[in-house]
Amino acid sequence: MVRRRYLLAYLIGAGVAGTLLTAPYAARVAVIELIPGATTFSNVPFFLLPILWGVWNLLWARLQPAMSIGAWGAILGVVAGIAVNLLFVAVGTWFAAVMLLPAFLAVLYALLFRLIVGPLNEALGVESEPAGMARTG
Amino acid sequence: MRTLGLIRRGTAGPSRDLWPRLRARLADDDVVALRVPAIGWLDATAIAVVVGTIALVPDPVRFLSACGLL
Repeated sequence: MVRRRYLLAYLIGAGVAGTLLTAPYAARVAVIELIPGATTFSNVPFFLLPILWGVWNLLWARLQPAMSIGAWGAILGVVAGIAVNLLFVAVGTWFAAVMLLPAFLAVLYALLFRLIVGPLNEALGVESEPAGMARTG
Repeated sequence: MRTLGLIRRGTAGPSRDLWPRLRARLADDDVVALRVPAIGWLDATAIAVVVGTIALVPDPVRFLSACGLL
């Protein structure tokens, strides 16, 4: 049995990432149409992002770390950035700008977690009650 | 056979009409209070860093593609 709160946390993370991913896919089609020479697209398996975000938000709900949800998202950004670097090195398509990815994704994910995932967690009851409230409630 | 028919006619079957249930759900005060935090200086700086990085990086299309934004 999975606790409802954890399942909800996973669904929020996966849902937000899945919804946001529609924008890059649409933008890619637009760029291909608008910029004839723009064919240097990397094949990063970003369709896995919803799973990654879902699991990360589930871990947030389960561990309740002593940090803000934005900082928690930033850690995921660093991890994802390093993973992409390693993938590019392994495949042989690494380029210098990819070094910026861990820092760039940390800032971006911190924003998205703070402004979207965090409020959804709070609104849908993923955040655990403070100890005092839980005892009295 | 006659007894069985009488029993069947005498008891009401399960309600298959879903509209009353749907109307009840819609009438529920099932609202969620979504409180998005106010955008402060830290958020504004973060947005500026994201936009600035995309603007300054040598091959933005390739970079955005690498980070899943394209």
